Amino acid sequence: MLQREPALCPCGCIGKRSRTNFVDKTIVGASGLMRQVLFTEDIASRPGLLQRLDPRVKALTMVGLVGTTSSVRNIRVLVGLYAIAVLLAVASRIPLSYFVRRVWLFVPIFTGIVVLPAMFSFITPGRVVVPLGHWFGHRVGITSQGLRSAGLIIVRVATSISFVVLLTLTTTWTRLLAALRSLRLPRMFILVLGMAYRYVFHLLGSVTEMYEARKARTVQTNTGVTSGRAFVSATAGTMFGKAHAMSEEVYQAMVARGYTGRPRSLNPFNIAAVDVAWVVACAIAIALVIVVDHAIGR
Amino acid sequence: MPSVAEPVLAVNGVSFSYLDRFVALKDISLAVDSGEKVALLGANGCGKSTLLKILDGLILPDSGTFTAFGEPVTEDALEDEQFNHGFRSRVGFVFQNSDAQVFSPTVREEVSFGPLNLGMSGDEVAVRVHDTLTMLDIADLAERAPYQLSGGQKKRVAIASVLVMNPEVLLFDEPTAALDPRTQQWLIELIVELNATGKTIVLATHDLETIDVLADRCLVFGEDHTVVGSGTPLEILGDRQLMLSVNLIHERTHLHHPHAPTEA
Repeated sequence: MLQREPALCPCGCIGKRSRTNFVDKTIVGASGLMRQVLFTEDIASRPGLLQRLDPRVKALTMVGLVGTTSSVRNIRVLVGLYAIAVLLAVASRIPLSYFVRRVWLFVPIFTGIVVLPAMFSFITPGRVVVPLGHWFGHRVGITSQGLRSAGLIIVRVATSISFVVLLTLTTTWTRLLAALRSLRLPRMFILVLGMAYRYVFHLLGSVTEMYEARKARTVQTNTGVTSGRAFVSATAGTMFGKAHAMSEEVYQAMVARGYTGRPRSLNPFNIAAVDVAWVVACAIAIALVIVVDHAIGR
Repeated sequence: MPSVAEPVLAVNGVSFSYLDRFVALKDISLAVDSGEKVALLGANGCGKSTLLKILDGLILPDSGTFTAFGEPVTEDALEDEQFNHGFRSRVGFVFQNSDAQVFSPTVREEVSFGPLNLGMSGDEVAVRVHDTLTMLDIADLAERAPYQLSGGQKKRVAIASVLVMNPEVLLFDEPTAALDPRTQQWLIELIVELNATGKTIVLATHDLETIDVLADRCLVFGEDHTVVGSGTPLEILGDRQLMLSVNLIHERTHLHHPHAPTEA
């Protein structure tokens, strides 16, 4: 142990490169999550249009806009609503590419898979625009009606998600929770949600430290699946124990300051002129959308 | 109302075991007078934190009695809303682990948690929170989330969350542990200042460097979970044999203190 042994290959080579293993991936994933949260907090603190609004007003109007989006039947009206969402993102100083990616990265994957069968003639009969062959004497393929239905659902989902993303990106999590609380959501629910969010970061730090400690002591490049599995399950068990001990101490810290099972909280919001103007603008936009959608029809 | 001479907190013959197996305290007696600074000294795992939790009514002793302000503190008493309210508003506890104590989404909500739970009005709470944050020089952190704070800032927030309730007795668990020197010094000065305003201080520590400033009286815990000595900080620091026997110092330890004994 006292002899110096340089950890180099005796043949003088520079060693083999190893592929990124699950330890590296976990560490990178944890730091990536932290970075993303800090970035979204940064967006929420920018001096944009939606950031100026009272979170309660913002949450309520976004619910109204999502409700309107789900009731619209015409794809052109939906595209118009999506354009409004994009304009709001620009006015709120959200990087456009980030906003668009955040919505469109998952919509095609999840909604696309769900609506894919609806494009075909055996689900949605109609004029076949992309023929795929014949089946018992009938032309089979993608129909224009099917494409319209699928497009309508995809744009509707994307627009709805856009409004929700606008709300979450322009409101810090803490203010969003406070807004939900003042909108009469059960206080206990909000308390648990807030604490869960708070301690996710704490436990994430612990997980990262454990993985870093393992990485610091790992010399062999390929440690094998079995030892990897054993480590992951041991980590999960340790984290469970840590979370349990922490929850007991947190509860004691609450009791020490007078908590008796009835959560109470501050309500620091004020409705300003800009909030009233925003509500009026949203009400007009929603009314217009409904009228135009009914006038145009499908 | 208790008489002037009555101790504010007193435990008599208290024992406690975790899960009925792991002994934490054995037959401990202690009386803390109003305005005193008492230090619980001992090595890791000797039961200091457990005694502090008993003094804050967070756990109850297996045997022995605990009285606060002349009233016995029992499970029934703590279930009484009026008693609980009075006890919680008069005794504050700063935990060693600030992460456990700072659990709210923002600093402002954290500091307001205590006063709100004691039934104060929103306006009064807002004023108190503002005053406390300003006093501890952390007003600029009011809207920050705990995960954005450094260890020292978290400690300040934890202290603010207790001081905002203006308790008569303050319990500190390892107050100077894991803090940088500047924050340590700030905290030591704060504790002395709070004591000068009449607050009673009970703290658990094994930091001998600051003990003569932080305490008027010390209670030394042995590794067998009993009290093996008590006295003024100078008396305790002067008894090298006692400190060696309870694992507060090592044979090679040199205390940089004017009254500390030199190595035999």
